[in-house]
Amino acid sequence: MKSILIKNKFQFFTFIILGTLPLFIDSYYLDNISYFMCWTFISLGLAVIWGMGGILSFGQTAFFGLAGYGFSVISINFLGVAGVSLWSVILALILTGVFGLIVGYFLFYGGIYDVFIGIVTLAITLVFETFMQQTAGPEYAIGPARLNGFNGMQGMPTIGFKDIPFGLVEGVTQYYFILILALIVLVFLYKFKHSKIGLVFLASKEDRERVSSLGHNVQRVQLIAFVIASILAGISGILYTNWGGYITPDSMGLVSAALPVVYVAASGKKDFFAVFIGCIFFVWLSQTLAINGKQFAIIVMGLILVISTRFFPDGIILMMINKLTEKIKWLRS
Amino acid sequence: MVLIFNIFYQLGDSLAFLLLAAIGLAVIFGMMKIINLAHGEFITVGAYGTVVTGKVFNLPLPIAMTFGVLITIIFGLILERFIIRYLYGRPLDSVVATWGISLIVSQSFLVIFGPSYEGLQTPMGNFQLGEFSYSEYRIFLIAFALFLLLILYYLFMKTSFGALARATIENPSISSSMGVNVQSIYTTTFAIGAGLAGITGALYAPTMTIVPSIGQAFIVSAFITVVTAGASPFVGLVPAAAFLGTVQTSVTFFYKSTIGLIAILCSVILIIRYLPNGFSGLIQKTRSK
Repeated sequence: MKSILIKNKFQFFTFIILGTLPLFIDSYYLDNISYFMCWTFISLGLAVIWGMGGILSFGQTAFFGLAGYGFSVISINFLGVAGVSLWSVILALILTGVFGLIVGYFLFYGGIYDVFIGIVTLAITLVFETFMQQTAGPEYAIGPARLNGFNGMQGMPTIGFKDIPFGLVEGVTQYYFILILALIVLVFLYKFKHSKIGLVFLASKEDRERVSSLGHNVQRVQLIAFVIASILAGISGILYTNWGGYITPDSMGLVSAALPVVYVAASGKKDFFAVFIGCIFFVWLSQTLAINGKQFAIIVMGLILVISTRFFPDGIILMMINKLTEKIKWLRS
Repeated sequence: MVLIFNIFYQLGDSLAFLLLAAIGLAVIFGMMKIINLAHGEFITVGAYGTVVTGKVFNLPLPIAMTFGVLITIIFGLILERFIIRYLYGRPLDSVVATWGISLIVSQSFLVIFGPSYEGLQTPMGNFQLGEFSYSEYRIFLIAFALFLLLILYYLFMKTSFGALARATIENPSISSSMGVNVQSIYTTTFAIGAGLAGITGALYAPTMTIVPSIGQAFIVSAFITVVTAGASPFVGLVPAAAFLGTVQTSVTFFYKSTIGLIAILCSVILIIRYLPNGFSGLIQKTRSK
């Protein structure tokens, strides 16, 4: 543990800064940062399967939407039962994980590789979006929860316990809830990357056949990583739904499907911490630019994407972190 | 009789749409293996090129269309020179970069030309059959799509350029050591793909409302058709488009158009799973038996 801290001083200080942030800034900005951090989980999931295993999936938003809708439907159905929204979070995540397992089984045990994974997952996302868009009628309801087509769902309860002070996941509690969750996920992913399964998964990116001829079950490892990624996307979906109090079919469209890809590619898909910081930065950037004209914001995001893949294939944020740590080392010596 | 013609007309219309949407991508993705997410924006450039030159210089439609296609080819060449060239052999990076290009282009059109642009009139007339009226231009599109495909097949399968292009894409380093100018082959092939997308844009320009997101209407159809066509796209494109068109038209006929879209997306997922080489793989398999 101590050696991890010494090796990752930069990461350690970042989390100390993020942890003490509520002391210095007001609740409006805090809620904004919570929103940026909502997106880190889906991006980290993509960093697992794409950065480690070379599997590019456009289906992460399908899991995002499924978890968001699942959480809404379950929590609205059990509205008023104490502490139920925590259970609806867990149920929604199980639902997402099982769906990820089915899709992953279909993909990896079906012998679908490379580009085709991207196209199959994109098709799944679009099926979800198209289906949800046409659910405006009253016949599309699960219990008291109407799916509401284009307008999306609203009125789900906030996660947490009503009777405990600061028990509801909103405001400062929400900030710390997401931050601690992100820290846990980052540590878990770090462990995963250095576990045996993680190493086999990393190796499978270079040469699938060679790894499997060495006696490793590549398909199973890919499936495990895919399920982890889908659950991470689901966490993002639930946190997003909880943050804004709504979920719409738009969150599964063509543009939304590519957004996590942008965050991960521009940050540096091989380093989880760079993805975490980069994701916060790029969501902030696109939001700030959007205030000054939405079209220009999208043009700038496109430019960042093109420039980073053309000139910095390892990611802009990762490159900056590496430069910074080098400079710190140089100053100390 | 009229009913049968009506069904064939609908089928042909969606066949032509799928074929024309996919034809440029069949070269860029099907042959060069570059996942060009900016394909829809090539079509947008073709459509805007046609409409804007047609309106501003008051040109007759065929000449405006030619300009539209030329503009798209130039646009494609510029992209190839500055971005795509560095992404050959990095398929996943090309996805990201071309998606960035697509964002930049569609939003730039929104900034420059506004949310919608006054379209052109659909050329040719209509004819009456029973109580329905049909557009002659739509029939022309079906014929033209098949004609384009024949030319492409000839170009890539029968000419020496086609042989060089296929060899280069199969194995660039061996082709290069045999004295083939690999770079110029890539550039030319990419330009052909861009030009074909431009033709699609130019052809559909007079039939649609011209909006900056016009390419979005094509991109999903294009990818699923090329993937369904399989490893040698020029052989598989027609059966693939015919199959997807039939599924879409029949499901739409019985349910509604959104369910039709869901049906073709699901059938594509199944085709990738059970026919990984698409329809062209199936054709080759049955032929070799």
